[in-house]
Amino acid sequence: METYEDVLQEMAAIDAMLAEGYKFKVVYENLSGTFAELEKQSNTAMLQILTAEARKYLAVKLKEQVTVT
Amino acid sequence: MADLRINFAGIESPNPFWLASAPPTNSGYQVQRAFEAGWGGAVWKTLGDPILNVSSRFAATHFNGQRVAGFNNIELITDRPLEVNLKEIYETKKRFPNHTIIASLMVEPKQEKWHEIVKRVEEVGVDGFELNFGCPHGMAERGMGAASGQVPELVEKQTYWAKEVATKPVIVKLTPNITDITATAEAAVAGGADAISMINTINSLIGVDLDSWNTVPHVAGKGAHGGYCGPAVKPIALNMVAECARSPHINVPISGIGGISNWRDAAEFMLMGSSSVQVCTAAMHHGFSIVEDMIEGLNNYLDDKGLASVMDLVGRSVQRYSDWGDLDLNYKVVAQINNDVCINCNKCHIACEDTSHQCIDLYTESGRPMLKVRENDCVGCNLCSIVCPVEGAISMVELKNTLPPMTWNERQAIMNQFAPTTNVK
Repeated sequence: METYEDVLQEMAAIDAMLAEGYKFKVVYENLSGTFAELEKQSNTAMLQILTAEARKYLAVKLKEQVTVT
Repeated sequence: MADLRINFAGIESPNPFWLASAPPTNSGYQVQRAFEAGWGGAVWKTLGDPILNVSSRFAATHFNGQRVAGFNNIELITDRPLEVNLKEIYETKKRFPNHTIIASLMVEPKQEKWHEIVKRVEEVGVDGFELNFGCPHGMAERGMGAASGQVPELVEKQTYWAKEVATKPVIVKLTPNITDITATAEAAVAGGADAISMINTINSLIGVDLDSWNTVPHVAGKGAHGGYCGPAVKPIALNMVAECARSPHINVPISGIGGISNWRDAAEFMLMGSSSVQVCTAAMHHGFSIVEDMIEGLNNYLDDKGLASVMDLVGRSVQRYSDWGDLDLNYKVVAQINNDVCINCNKCHIACEDTSHQCIDLYTESGRPMLKVRENDCVGCNLCSIVCPVEGAISMVELKNTLPPMTWNERQAIMNQFAPTTNVK
């Protein structure tokens, strides 16, 4: 059962990566949730988003990146 | 005082309230009494080769003290010869020239049969025809009714045959016993239908007697599926009307049928695209006089809304009916409990805890039991407000400052832009 704390944690993880200058490179979904691969110069990172609300939040951030670029 | 007159596919009617083709419109005596009571029109009980009916024809679902939440019938089309019906139609139209009489017709799917009955019925002065492609019982087994109505090609062909000889408008009545009613609606339009009506009744079995093990109803110990109607079917009918109304391929007037019991139901159907409404079960349950409240209620509603004519209501909510994929995922409502009104039955807590998202807490304040929604965990499903027995105890409140709007379709389009180029497990 997801709690709001879980949602906040996942949203915070997304925000932290973006604040460090990471950009979304690849995003996919499967039975285990949404996976976002981010990159910053030669560094890569992976986020696994499980909660529904954080997956919605991720989509908003993806759109922001697309809009800016 | 609003104008309740309608023009339905060229058929003028003093108001949108018609009786549906059914037991209430079986005879001239009944239809004339209905017109005296105030009904704007009547669709005569389906004419065709006279059938034979069984005894024990109707049954109902009663639910939590509410009589006739749903109604089932295994009655067929008219069991009276055509000439008898035509004489009474003629007399009724003569007595009530400004009221609408539509003749419902059902014959075998043969061109000559349709030509014959349309010509004969048109001679007595009906205002239009309704082709019955929807009876789910008795007639379907003979290749008529729903058996025709489930096959788009047959719907189109028979509509075309009727239109070859009819000079009055032809309405095609559609069966809900189908995966997608817009398919048969489009077929009716392709065949030349001037309008469509829906829904006919839904395949059903009311119940089983736990003592005798007989079906309900039963005829000498045996049962057969019947047609379900009444208040219980209203959501199904309203959806089907709305799907047809919003289809760009269906551009004919719609007569809405299905559980319409009062002026509110009628207004909802009109908002979703019906320009006339047909009633059966409510009239069978309460008598023809219900139309008085319907007329008064609709009139008052239109005055409150500042609408001069009932036709101004038609279709006003259709554009709000969408595909799921175009709904805003980021729109958020949450439940709020008014503890001053709440009676502490705890049904909201039980429903949420057992079957939803476990976000309604019980607590005590100054010795008084209280309930509170944890809004951060509330997904806004509405379940608590639905099960709550007290008006005003639970409100669903729209939240501001949520994420910007995004539909599922938009989300998927964005996600596709970031999709991996190789297969990922």
